[in-house]
Order: sequence, then structure tokens, then C-alpha cells
Amino acid sequence: MNADSYPIVDPRHANRGAGAPPEIGKLGMWVFLGTEVLFFGGLMLSYLYGRTHWPGGFAAAGRHTHVWIGTINTAVLLTSSALIALAGATSECMPMRRWTPRLLWLTALFGLGFLVLKGIEYDKEVHEQLFPQAGFALSETGAELFFWLYWLMTAIHALHLAIGVGAVSLFAWATGRQRRWADSHRIEVLALYWHFVDVVWIFLYPLLYLIDRHS
Amino acid sequence: MNEADFRRRRRRIAIAWIALLALMLTSLGSAYLSLGIGNVIAGLVIATIKSSIVVIVFMGLGRSSAMVRIAAAAALSMWFVLAGLSGVDYATRPHEPARYQSPRQLQPLTGKENEP
Repeated sequence: MNADSYPIVDPRHANRGAGAPPEIGKLGMWVFLGTEVLFFGGLMLSYLYGRTHWPGGFAAAGRHTHVWIGTINTAVLLTSSALIALAGATSECMPMRRWTPRLLWLTALFGLGFLVLKGIEYDKEVHEQLFPQAGFALSETGAELFFWLYWLMTAIHALHLAIGVGAVSLFAWATGRQRRWADSHRIEVLALYWHFVDVVWIFLYPLLYLIDRHS
Repeated sequence: MNEADFRRRRRRIAIAWIALLALMLTSLGSAYLSLGIGNVIAGLVIATIKSSIVVIVFMGLGRSSAMVRIAAAAALSMWFVLAGLSGVDYATRPHEPARYQSPRQLQPLTGKENEP
């Protein structure tokens, strides 16, 4: 079977009849992402409380995050989002379908690159005594709380991204082998998850890396 | 999707990607200017614009059915409601922090503590 001979949409979808709305997968993912908004939103609310109550400690702690690694990682994630959006577009256009697996592999590679950079950053922070524990490097009130939230939010984000890398790799493999289940609808649903992880980072970037840089 | 539609979509994605990177650099640059509370506002406003681009162009929320848009709007509204309700509690609590005490090792018990 060559790349052009299998259908854009899994024929099993077509057989579900008029009762199954075509956007049911998208709707399911959006509902799931709604629960994720509340999950990350709760953490961001904790951050808001800490930042308004201990602004000095949060500012002092924020200056110790590695802004260049954070910025490169932001660019990496934004680029990966553009790549998976392009992969979705190619999967819907028959003459372009040969690009879908390559773009998905590239997306997964960028996600992996983000995780590697994040790992390097974590390593530097552990050596700088910025993990909240006995012997924590900063003495300002609130600085340790900032780093509690920093580690919690970035680690949960990284976990989401790692799951995304696994899922995108699976789809990259499946589209490369023309598996029917890896159709354009499912790639679109997968892309929604990836974009959401990107949106979370878009907010984490100014909150964690860009505090009080001018002083 | 035919090739003309694909090219249009590819152009939209490319423009959105360039805009996102430009906004990221704007956000980074603004952080090094002394704007007071404006730093926080600039960071969050730019983040909101960036996420709107991702949601509208990449996630295609504008092209989605009303049902999908309602699900997305309900999630965001629910976050605002819950954040507001939490704020009623947390923002009105008296702020009385206890002095931080370093954890310390207790002296081991020897059984002779009560001896004169």
C-alpha cells in the first residue's frame, strides 16, 4: 500500500452513521483539556497568592531561574506547535500526506529537545541549591515557596510533554506505515493536546523566568 | 483539502509562528525595562495574545462547531469562577506568618534524663 492509497479518514468513522458527529473526538479532547485548565489553573492561583503576599521573595527567586534556557525552550515549543499544526494540514491534503510522518517525527524531536534542555536546567538548579530542602540557597521569605511552585509546575508540565512525545512518536510511526487508525481526525485531536501543553508553557514563561529581570 | 487550501493554511501557520516568536522576544525585552507593575501586565498580556494565536490558528477553535467552542468557553469560565471564589477566602485572610524555624536534630534519648 502506498502513501496515497489509504483514506484520509478511517472508514470505520464513516460507518458510524449520522448519529456520530464528526467532531466527537475534538469535543472529547476539549472537555479533557477543560479539566486540565482547572488543574494548572489551581497551581497558577497558588502562584498568584504567593506573588502578591511575598513579592520580594518571589522577585529574588525569579532572578535565579535560567532565563536563556527558558527562552530557548519557549521557542522550541512554539516551533513544535507550528510543526504539528502543519502535520495536521498535510494529513488532510492527499498530495502532501508523505510529509505527515516526517513532520510528526520532527515535532517529537523538538519535544524531546525541550525535555533535554529542561533536564540540564534542573541539574544546574540542584547544584545551585535551588531545590526546596534543607540548605536552600536563598534566605528571602517566599523564595522557597516560589521554587516549590517552580518545580511542581514545570515537572507536571514536563510529564505532560513526555506523554505528548510518546503519543506523537506513535502517530509518526503509524502514519509512516499507513496504519488506518492514524487518520487526520485523530492527528487533529492529538495536536490539540500538544498545543495545550504549549499554551501552559506560554504562561509559565513570564511567570517563572521574567520576574524582576530589570533590577 | 485541495492544494490551494493547503497552501493558504501553511501560510497562516507560518505567519502565526513568526508572530509567536516575535511576541516571545518582545516579552523577553520588556522584562529588562523598568516598568514597575507594567512588567507583570506586559508579560501576561503578551502571554494571552500568544495563547490566543495558538488557540485560534493552531487549534482551530474558530473553525470548530458551536459545541466545541462552548466546551472551551465553559472550561475557561469555570476557572474564573473558581479563582474568584478562592480569592474571596485567600485575599481576605489576615497575613500572620510564623517565624521560620530551621529543622534540627533532637538530642538522642539515653534513659537518664530524669536523673538528678
